[in-house]
Amino acid sequence: MTLKQGKNHTAYQVVSINIELKLERRLQALGLTDGTKITVLNNDKKGAVTVRFRGTRFALGKRIADHIEVKEALDTCQTQSM
Amino acid sequence: MPDTINVGFIGNPNCGKTTLFNAFTGANLKVANWPGVTVEKKEGRTTYKGQEFKLIDLPGIYSLTSYTMEETVSRECILSDEVDVIVDVIDTSSLERNLYLTLQLLELGKPVVLALNMMDIVEERGMEIDLHRLPEMLGTPAIPVSARKKTGLSILLHAVAHHNEYHTQGPLIHHHKDKHSLHLHNHHDEYAMVYEDYIEDKIDLIINELTKSNPGLTHKRWHAIKLLEQDKTVSANQLTDLTAIIDRSYEKDIINQKYDFIEEIISEVLVNKSRQEASTDKIDRYLTDKWLGLPIFLGIMALVFFLTFTIGDWLKGYFEIGLEAFSGLVSGTLGSIHTNAMLTSLIVDGIISGVGGILTFLPNIFILFLALAVLEDSGYMARVAFIMDDIMSRLGLSGRAFLPLLLGFGCTVPAVMASRALEHKKDRFKTILITPFMSCSARLPIYVLFSSMFFGKHAMLVCYSMYLLGIIIAIGTAYVLSKIDGSRAEHALLIELPEYKSPNAHTIAIYVWQKIKDYLTKAGTVIFIASVIMWGILNFGPCGYVTDISESFGSWIGKAVVPLFRPIGLGYWQIIVALIAGIAAKEVVVSSCSVLFGIQNITTARGMEAMVAALGGLGFGAANAYALMVFCLLYVPCTAAIATIHRELKSWKYTAGILVYQLAAAWIVSFAVYHLINLLQHYTA
Repeated sequence: MTLKQGKNHTAYQVVSINIELKLERRLQALGLTDGTKITVLNNDKKGAVTVRFRGTRFALGKRIADHIEVKEALDTCQTQSM
Repeated sequence: MPDTINVGFIGNPNCGKTTLFNAFTGANLKVANWPGVTVEKKEGRTTYKGQEFKLIDLPGIYSLTSYTMEETVSRECILSDEVDVIVDVIDTSSLERNLYLTLQLLELGKPVVLALNMMDIVEERGMEIDLHRLPEMLGTPAIPVSARKKTGLSILLHAVAHHNEYHTQGPLIHHHKDKHSLHLHNHHDEYAMVYEDYIEDKIDLIINELTKSNPGLTHKRWHAIKLLEQDKTVSANQLTDLTAIIDRSYEKDIINQKYDFIEEIISEVLVNKSRQEASTDKIDRYLTDKWLGLPIFLGIMALVFFLTFTIGDWLKGYFEIGLEAFSGLVSGTLGSIHTNAMLTSLIVDGIISGVGGILTFLPNIFILFLALAVLEDSGYMARVAFIMDDIMSRLGLSGRAFLPLLLGFGCTVPAVMASRALEHKKDRFKTILITPFMSCSARLPIYVLFSSMFFGKHAMLVCYSMYLLGIIIAIGTAYVLSKIDGSRAEHALLIELPEYKSPNAHTIAIYVWQKIKDYLTKAGTVIFIASVIMWGILNFGPCGYVTDISESFGSWIGKAVVPLFRPIGLGYWQIIVALIAGIAAKEVVVSSCSVLFGIQNITTARGMEAMVAALGGLGFGAANAYALMVFCLLYVPCTAAIATIHRELKSWKYTAGILVYQLAAAWIVSFAVYHLINLLQHYTA
């Protein structure tokens, strides 16, 4: 599933990011890459999504959210990823 | 003690690095470009207790990869002998994000001193930082500083001088829960950042290879890590074949493990974070709600607008009275000392009314930016980008572009200034291009005058139609542009949503003062020159200084271009001169009309009657009036706005391009409405 399909207040784990290199680099520098835990905060709108990863809230445009492949995180309490 | 210690200042964008740098160097700056690239290089000097320091301000960056010019430049400089000690400036209020660069810097193996900036914001947000634990975990001094209040500066320099003498780092104390290494070398008390065993094994192997092939190489561990990341620059310089060890790019593993360590640091060092988070979540539930978000935003903006243009205009009235008194005083004084009439006119009509006219906008600008600073500092502005992103994306603009466009209804100058919040150059250009189409308050007097003269009881409706037309043209332009450059529906918003906090008076004061200073100094100088030029055009003719405007170069130009304006119903030299004068400030169109047609008190009922009669005699009717209003709406903005546009774009070429486009748009739309109304009148008559 993609991040855009995520449910509010649910934790996911990034499987892959399939977007142009420039944006992928920016996301990486912010700490979002394969395996990162990401929580969807507000995905009510058709477009942009708000999420939390690495302790910070972000707003992501629809195209970014559409191109981040995620899977449901098995245990939301588990803090050590990978 | 070395003669001079070379200190490189580095940090994320907007961490207050340049403010801190300036606090040390004052005006003692040498600004140049890095060799070969147009990235600014700033150098300064300072002394502390007899020790001399050479400071280098490096570009703001998020990481030490080599994907951007800024990163490459910073990395090369830090690795070279140009830098002895690295001062890593940290925006402590977003420690997580800033520590990523810190960990990369530590890996370089050069002495690093952390400058913890913006500690006051941390306190305001009710958080605390364990200043003992942080250096213990990172093995590097961490000095709280305030770039704004200039505190902690000496301690920082002391730490730099002190830390420079030690080439080994202090003992590192980590309490990793489940990260005890089974690896041959346990690096946990040696390096701050220790990777998982499979990476550490590879690092050791690569270091062995590097030692064999290149014994003189410094920063071996860093090189090894960069090779594992398959960094282009470092890999290109690597001659030995290491494909047996580096079977793939380990970049993502390395990033993730760095951030995992950062999470560990944060959990030990940052106190009270979750409480703030919970309240932000609660506020965001309303402010970013699917249905409530937009109305709340529009409500807030309406309030900001209301304050700006009620309180602002009220103060502006006093400014105008003061200005009038001042110009009266000056002309009286100049008269009493028998100054040449031409010089008096230049000073009073040219400079004082030109520059002074701009000063009268100061109250509006002050209140507007005060309100914006409060919204920005509280953390709300980032939410606006989220709320507006979908709507703006359809126009190929980022969500943040909504604000400048809205501000454009007040005054184009601050609106264009607000476009600075846009991250991408292309977005900024588009926004600046269409912002002037948002009908600013200075254009209202023109609409009011001409619509009440020619449209009687429909005057209000005609005024509204101007605003609507402006919006349509702006949206149309953005839409067409996005079709051309293919950026339609970007939807690539990426913005941090900071936690809400109560705004800080000091931060706001600095923000507002910066804007006002900008407005006064830079726009002021251009406006000064423009006022003199406008005065020259309207007061000089082929026969020299003239008092009758109809003999001036202005009228001469007006008469020369009459044929160009005839197709749009504005082929009257007086109107053209008024339009030219209107470039100084849009309201001037009204006052110029009264001067040019020799009518006093043009805004009174009798004045308007006389004006209608005068214009009617020339064959200027309702269609012409509407065309004139449309032209005023769309043609080039006032000199203050042009100066601001130039300052924001830093290019005369783009500025000229925008002006040409606006003139063309004004001509074409005026042409269309003029003939349309004539046609309608023809059929209804």
